[in-house]
Amino acid sequence: MELHNLELAYFIAPLAISGISAALAALVSVTDRIVNNYGDAVININDGSKSLDVKGGTNMLLTLAENQIFIPSACGGRGSCGECKVKVKSDVGPHLPTEIPYLTREQIDGNVRLSCQVKIKSDVDIEIPDYLFKIKQYTGTVERIRDVTHDIKEVYLKLEDGQAVDFRAGQYGQIETPPYGKVRERTQRAYSMSSRPSDSNHAEFLIRLVPGGIVTTYVHEHLKEGEKIKIIAPFGEFYVRDTDATMICVAGGSGMAPFKSIFYDFIEKGRMNERDIWYFFGARTRKDLFYLDELQQMQDEYERFHFIAALSEPQPEDNWTGETGLITEVLDRYLKNEISPDKPKEGYLCGSPGMLDACMDVMRSNEMAEDRIYFDKFA
Amino acid sequence: MKMSPEFTKAQANMQPGKITADGFLGDDSRPIVDIIADDEAEMQTLGVDFDAAVARMRYLMAEGRKGLEEPVTVDGNWIVRVSEARGFLPSPFEDGIFRKVNAQVELAPGGVRSGETILYSELGLHLLEKYHFLQGRGAPFRLEPGQLRKVLQL
Repeated sequence: MELHNLELAYFIAPLAISGISAALAALVSVTDRIVNNYGDAVININDGSKSLDVKGGTNMLLTLAENQIFIPSACGGRGSCGECKVKVKSDVGPHLPTEIPYLTREQIDGNVRLSCQVKIKSDVDIEIPDYLFKIKQYTGTVERIRDVTHDIKEVYLKLEDGQAVDFRAGQYGQIETPPYGKVRERTQRAYSMSSRPSDSNHAEFLIRLVPGGIVTTYVHEHLKEGEKIKIIAPFGEFYVRDTDATMICVAGGSGMAPFKSIFYDFIEKGRMNERDIWYFFGARTRKDLFYLDELQQMQDEYERFHFIAALSEPQPEDNWTGETGLITEVLDRYLKNEISPDKPKEGYLCGSPGMLDACMDVMRSNEMAEDRIYFDKFA
Repeated sequence: MKMSPEFTKAQANMQPGKITADGFLGDDSRPIVDIIADDEAEMQTLGVDFDAAVARMRYLMAEGRKGLEEPVTVDGNWIVRVSEARGFLPSPFEDGIFRKVNAQVELAPGGVRSGETILYSELGLHLLEKYHFLQGRGAPFRLEPGQLRKVLQL
């Protein structure tokens, strides 16, 4: 009899365990459906100035983009640029560890969140700047790609019929490239527009090849004339303030882009001689310089426009007779010795975070007011 | 070799689309402990010390940053271009975040380019220094031991 019970237990125990496991799996599955089915939700923007009926379950950045509201995001929602900040007025849970490095204490206290890290689970109230409503997605056909240096391409896009981008000279757009090679998803990166605002059915970008860069590699190695790509624009606070202060502009490499847009916009509007403009452009060798002739021509034509190109490592074959040294060193020399200290100055910078920091140091040490130095720190 | 839970999690974080679009493993399907063990053996065979490599790479990155995005000739032997983008990347081992700084170093004796380059990031340096992880074969930031020795002149 005992043996019979043992045999019975031998068969029943695994069945019982299997049954319990199956029940637990079913419970997890049902719970997952209930817990993760967030259903419909309402995003209330700027105290009711706009209201969106959305499906819950996706992050706020993507949900807003699906509804044609584009929050700036240099990394395309990967949580690595810290750009997509939104003030959230509802309780959406505590800040995630992935958000903290990008937020100041003040922003955390004010419940500013990275919209790519916040999942829409229920109705939510948010506050965003009004200018974001102007940002739109465009499709452009590559009309021309031109090498302006060995590692910078000028990409000129024709927007689809009827589309026109309304932007201020100096602002930037986000270019989206498709999956290619081992890159399995669409990728977005931010680049300043070099086109004139008046040429609104086109958009032009200067794109420098970044070793290992996903979008720049695509543009340099795969993008062809006739191909369609998406851009989202305009973004940014980098545009000329309407004052008569002397403009001190500094760039290197593809940082030329917003200044090309600004200067040609000034010329079109007859404003080139309204104020003093000093444009400092740094490169390593002569082959890294571009648009030299047209900038030189601008300087000849407009007496208040001064173009200072500097090479940090001129080669013997360059026969360079212009300024030498890092652009920060040249800027420092001019601020001390050449540019009138009596007139108020505004700084306009375009470059990498490191370049901007170095230029800021020079400008501050030459008594330029920090709140009058403008840039978009996205590289 | 057996993977610890920390390494299993790190390997999951290294897949494309997790931290970076193209990931850290390339076409390599080996567990990361095996990638590390194989690379450690190769570095030893080549006589390249990890700490010496990391020290030189940090030095070259620091010198390259002074170029403000433009290439810089360092000690007449290397041309270094450091690119920097806004933001940070978390370590796949979840032990820190790192600025998005990349350095491309080209061996250039006497200032003459050789075409021999290595490419690494601030995060890549951390992975090399702390875990001896040179990334999977075919990954964009994979560091080949032989190339490291050649370019860094170790």
